[in-house]
Amino acid sequence: MQFDLDEDRELLRQSTRELLQKEAPLAETRAVMEETPEGYAKGLFAQLGELGYPSLLLSEAEGGMGALAFAATLAEMGRVALPGPFLDLCLAVRVLAGCQGDVAARWRDRAAAGEALVVLARSEDANEADPGAVEARCSDGCVKGTKTFVPFGAQADALLVETRDGLALVVRPGEGWHATALPTLDHAQRFAEIALDTPAGLVAQSSRATELLADAERLGSLGAAALLLGLMERSLELAVEYTGEREAFGVPIGSFQALQHRCADMLLQVESTRSVVFRAAWAEEADPAEAAYLVSVAKAWAGPAAREVCGQTIQLFGGVGFTWEYDPHIFLKRAKTLETFYGSTRSAELAAFDRHARFGG
Amino acid sequence: MDLRFTEEQLKFRDELRAWLDANLPRTYTEEVRDPANDADALVELRRRWQKKLHEAGYLGMGWPPEWGGRGATAVEDGILQAELYYRDAPLVPNFLGISLLGPALIHHGSEEQRRRFIPPMLSCDEIWCQGFSEPGSGSDLASLRTRAEPDGSDWRITGQKVWTTFGPWADWIFVLARTGDDRYGGISFFLVPLDQPGVDMRGLKQITGESEFGEVFFDDALAQGEHLVGKLGEGWRIAMTVLGYERGGAALAKPAEYDAQLEGLVAALRETGRLERPELREKVARLVVENEVMRSNGLRTLANLAAGKAPGPESSIEKIFWSEYHQRLTDAAVELLGPRGQLTARSPGARPEVDWAYQYLWSRAGSIYSGSSEIQRNIIAKRVLRMPTAR
Repeated sequence: MQFDLDEDRELLRQSTRELLQKEAPLAETRAVMEETPEGYAKGLFAQLGELGYPSLLLSEAEGGMGALAFAATLAEMGRVALPGPFLDLCLAVRVLAGCQGDVAARWRDRAAAGEALVVLARSEDANEADPGAVEARCSDGCVKGTKTFVPFGAQADALLVETRDGLALVVRPGEGWHATALPTLDHAQRFAEIALDTPAGLVAQSSRATELLADAERLGSLGAAALLLGLMERSLELAVEYTGEREAFGVPIGSFQALQHRCADMLLQVESTRSVVFRAAWAEEADPAEAAYLVSVAKAWAGPAAREVCGQTIQLFGGVGFTWEYDPHIFLKRAKTLETFYGSTRSAELAAFDRHARFGG
Repeated sequence: MDLRFTEEQLKFRDELRAWLDANLPRTYTEEVRDPANDADALVELRRRWQKKLHEAGYLGMGWPPEWGGRGATAVEDGILQAELYYRDAPLVPNFLGISLLGPALIHHGSEEQRRRFIPPMLSCDEIWCQGFSEPGSGSDLASLRTRAEPDGSDWRITGQKVWTTFGPWADWIFVLARTGDDRYGGISFFLVPLDQPGVDMRGLKQITGESEFGEVFFDDALAQGEHLVGKLGEGWRIAMTVLGYERGGAALAKPAEYDAQLEGLVAALRETGRLERPELREKVARLVVENEVMRSNGLRTLANLAAGKAPGPESSIEKIFWSEYHQRLTDAAVELLGPRGQLTARSPGARPEVDWAYQYLWSRAGSIYSGSSEIQRNIIAKRVLRMPTAR
């Protein structure tokens, strides 16, 4: 038995950390949050594309590196609260790789190279966190319907739209595509509601689409759980650093037991998340029978854990933790968003129960 | 990364499972529910169970074979403990002797001590209890006041120990006693027979209603000179090393034990058609998630041990997790099962799978013994997070 990553993946993790430390410091994240309508650094995404990152979930022959490398990479992106649709892009590349036809293949290549942004458009009900009933249709070469909470939908070059007829690839046209931005509590996140009445082609028939979307859902949960791990890990580091420096009553506040015990609980959450996220990623590669169950467990755990840790960091910073100027809010906001999407906590819990080898069915 | 057991380890598990099928006809809960079994009969049953495990080679897993052990790795031990706890096997009477005193003797004892004490400890012909805590010294163990005074080449012990698990049935006790004034360096480790005039062992009734704990009073009790373990003043260091072993051992055992309890809960809710109620199902689902996360921590610990890494202060995380989880689990179960969940083991209508009333009460002990949750949080803050020390 061995918990550590092997040499290749550890190397990838380290080089990803170095790249992001250089290219995506928190100051950069702030600039993106506050100033760019895209909500992400297009230059950095182009660089990630050149380095092959969006292909992580493809087969080895197509440049993929497997779920452990994917989880390790996303955990690093969580540490810097990297804004932008990296996870969504990885999922779209994976889905496109499973679709038929030259058009899908061409968009897969462009998305994998970081030249185009493609994202999945599924949800039609803003009252439900998890994708549910679908009304959108694709017939006679045309997609009609309205999708909501499409991640970076207003910035995307193409959408993979779930319809009753299968999965449709909609390339952003001049007309018949109406995007309404949906600003949310995470100022670095960009969602859009998109009304479509536009030419499109099916790239996967219904049954194939269902398979591809289930696969993307599972990997989306794993990726989100890994991002949550990185977010909470870095958030706890900020809390420990700050409470070690900030003095009150003549001593560093980190010497107070009330604060120490809070930080100890935060570490319990962080390290437990690490155990379950990497175990789930490992199962994705080596134990497929358990993978879906363990991914649900990981997502159900990581969401509330990260939300709790990142919230506590604001508390430990005190008043300045509530200011825009200090960093803790960046982490809480992303944690809350990621807890809600890619398998909400409640649905992940119930899925874990249903997928349990002895309880399910 | 690889969390698989090897072929050899899987073979060990399959053999163990077959052995348990043949040798463990009833769960311990079923034994407790049997009105024919009074407290002494249960102790005898546990004694016989330990002998069986010993004869089959399932005790002292990590110990060298020359001392009756199996020389097995932490992974095999983890597999064994998980199977035993999952099946609700009786806990062996000498579990503290085997987990604490055995390693202390192997690492710090004399050849004569090992020869004299280890065989009857494993065969359960002598039962050991632990004399560390005192009424005034729990979390602050080093403040202990029980004294050992030299008497020729022997020692005379005076003082009081408490929370001595299995004390009322024990033959021997391993005692930390003060031989000097230095806070840590003035503590020594003695082996003391309980059947002697200067020792008074009394049962201590617990919140569960049983008296499995004891309190013991020493009044000039004799400890022979050759029964000092290690050198004079080494008691604290020895105790801290062996307590470290105690904390590492639960890697897979606790999630396996709670798995069995969760299965009992799900079976009961399913049978009464209440699992379909969303508010109940969601609560159970959350408990399943948390237990699986705990197992993930355990597999990580085991994998690190297998890769030759010593368990660090992260074991404090596991201790907090399992002890507080068990409180959440039993609290939820007693609530979800309705009034029936409160029935004691032999009440008419009590659920057969799990003795929920007992488990509910017993869960309160876990966050106190073997380093309370508060002590564990101190350890994490200081030794893992390196937070500043109060001036």
